Amino acid sequence: MTCETAIRLLEPFLDDELEAAQRADVAGHLATCRTCAVVYAPLLELRQGIRSHAPYYRAPDGLRDRVRASVRQAERRPATSWRAIAIAAAILLAISAAFNIALMKSRTAGGDAIARNILSSHVRSLMGTHLLDVPSTDQHTVKPWFNGKLDFSPDVRDFSAQGYPLIGGRMDYIDGHPAAALVFQRRKHIINVFTWPSNAPEGGAELGRNGYQIVHWSRDGMAWWAVSDLNSGELRQFAALYQH
Amino acid sequence: MLPHLDAAYNLARWMTRNEDDAQDVVQEAYLRALRFFDGFRGGDGRAWLLAVVRNTALTWLRRESTMAHVSFDEETHGPGPADATVETQLVKGAKLAGLRDCLELLSVEFREVVVMREMEEMSYREIAEAASAPIGTVMSRLSRARQRLQDCMAARLREASK
Repeated sequence: MTCETAIRLLEPFLDDELEAAQRADVAGHLATCRTCAVVYAPLLELRQGIRSHAPYYRAPDGLRDRVRASVRQAERRPATSWRAIAIAAAILLAISAAFNIALMKSRTAGGDAIARNILSSHVRSLMGTHLLDVPSTDQHTVKPWFNGKLDFSPDVRDFSAQGYPLIGGRMDYIDGHPAAALVFQRRKHIINVFTWPSNAPEGGAELGRNGYQIVHWSRDGMAWWAVSDLNSGELRQFAALYQH
Repeated sequence: MLPHLDAAYNLARWMTRNEDDAQDVVQEAYLRALRFFDGFRGGDGRAWLLAVVRNTALTWLRRESTMAHVSFDEETHGPGPADATVETQLVKGAKLAGLRDCLELLSVEFREVVVMREMEEMSYREIAEAASAPIGTVMSRLSRARQRLQDCMAARLREASK
């Protein structure tokens, strides 16, 4: 790869927008070309600077209630307030249905049943209030919590040191199996890791669904599925840590 | 029940650069989102919602005529030294504190793509959807925004080390 080509691809490379082969070419070129490395380093530094030092403004307390109230207000008919409430409820339901349409589409688009299950469980866990049954950053609290709830004991890890802290776990059902869901956090992204006993052959796979990434592996009689809206590189890195 | 509220607020906050305006924009955006719900054709819910937030914020900025196109001053924000020397921790700290200011100084069409890419970690395709722009435009805006941020930071670094 020439420098001219590589320089043009540095930003798409940084943004994880290249096909695997091209990504490998750029990575290879960067490792040996000082000129390109000198251009790339400040780009990476800028990203890290923004992510660690520019504020991410979370919605302030009260905004959620305020928005809900204004939605109801907008739909209120003076004569029948019960009706208004029903309409507001229907609308809130509709908006949440809209976000589910995205999922439905990915369902019909194909892919196997488990991946669809995993994705919908992940999205449900983020939209609802049921992300964690056992909120804890301590693997020695999370692991015993599953005792008596499952007929297997999940391998619970913590990767705080690598930037993927454990934040807890919950019970879930995937594809008709009771499964342990272990929840990790990477910056503000949630990673759900599902595991259950399975006699699937050992191996692994990666897939993207609707902006979410899924990494799957089977090992020692257990199926493992990690899902997140993280970029594929970081989720891959996380999965590699888990398999180590 | 209100999905992506943090993402909506963060984008509105960076676009308006003001907490109160951002809250008003978010409130209005969710109302619009309900009203124009038919316009949602599936796909990425977050990008669709952020498109509504973005349009609401742009209308807001125009209405308030606070659309101050802070022009980029090449005199003061010219390119920095080609090869950054070793920085002391102090200088590095000052430099990072300046990031927020530099980001706020960008004009809104650059600022929004940086927020969507670096803070929401959206793909080019998602940003294109949210910003109603072709992917090529998104890529070039992002690239120019990064260049300007680097230049602005370099200028601050020079200030700090004076």
